[in-house]
Amino acid sequence: MIQLKTLLNCIDNSGAAIVECAQIIGQKRHASIGDRIVVVVQKQRSANADGMAGAGAPKVKRGDIRHAIVVRTRQPVQRRDGSVVRFDDNACVLINKAGDPIGSRINGVVGSELRKKKWSRILSMAPMQA
Amino acid sequence: MNAAPLARRPLGCLKATLRQTRHQRLLVRHMATEASQTTSKPPVQHGFYPITDPKKKTIRTAFAVYPQGTVAGVKNASPPPSNVLQALHEAQIKRLDPTGVRTAMFGKNRDAVKPGDVLMITHRRGGEPFAGVVMSIRRRGIDSAVLLRNHLGKIGVEMWFKIYNKNVAGIDIIKRAPKRARRARLTYMRQPKHDMGSVENLVFEWKRTRKVFSTAKSAAGAGGKNAKGAKAAKKK
Repeated sequence: MIQLKTLLNCIDNSGAAIVECAQIIGQKRHASIGDRIVVVVQKQRSANADGMAGAGAPKVKRGDIRHAIVVRTRQPVQRRDGSVVRFDDNACVLINKAGDPIGSRINGVVGSELRKKKWSRILSMAPMQA
Repeated sequence: MNAAPLARRPLGCLKATLRQTRHQRLLVRHMATEASQTTSKPPVQHGFYPITDPKKKTIRTAFAVYPQGTVAGVKNASPPPSNVLQALHEAQIKRLDPTGVRTAMFGKNRDAVKPGDVLMITHRRGGEPFAGVVMSIRRRGIDSAVLLRNHLGKIGVEMWFKIYNKNVAGIDIIKRAPKRARRARLTYMRQPKHDMGSVENLVFEWKRTRKVFSTAKSAAGAGGKNAKGAKAAKKK
């Protein structure tokens, strides 16, 4: 249930750590896994953050406005077969206007709803999916 | 009234007869029951009548004629049994779980799965099997489900699984809770203080013991068949 002002973890190596949702693209409701949103980078990842070794120079700075894909939500998401998945945090991955990920790797689990929403680039970058 | 002009206007006769038939038709239409009683009924051919589109050769619309006595509110129809839903659930469970293994697994007996146990659920659609602590069991007949919690890469993940789902290929009991949980729903496990963390090491341990105790052949098929997996887990 990502809406205006929701703070999300950014789990790629683009340089952003915490981003704030500014708008949901393409729909009037709250965003769920696989939805595209506009975010404002609120906190930059420090140079040697855990799990992001060799990230190099951060590609985004604090205050940048970027597009992102929601990959995890605290709100339970129901699947076609009746199973439900719920994560402990809200997380997203930054993308550019064309839809390609800004970072080159993803650190953490992502929801497999991305497959249905045709974000296979992000899925293939993720270490695991649930 | 019509008698006088009849001679002069022969068409008037036709007009009169037409009016008469129209009146008759109206009468029949208004008193449909009356009319149907008097006229002999055509034999009812019950069945499905599709009306096809002549251009596209597809079914444009259709209607069905049911035999008499199936209409709602008919007196002679037998009343439905009192526990229709229960009967339906039982029939569905029998269809989806013919051996009754899963019913026994999540029943209310001593051997059944309880909150606090660690389960592993294998999907038929591929993907990694999901293991986790049972946080709660939702017993609703065919809709029965189980909530598992695990940590995947430092992030807590909870998943509900329908236990009678055909896509759930296998349910394995990894570890029993050492002590009976004093709650039916272990939602306190979401708090960092009570969180169990990842059950990955438990799963790893379980897989190793299975390899020791079973032959190579059955170890290869571990989790493939629900019945086999459940029984093997129960023996331990």
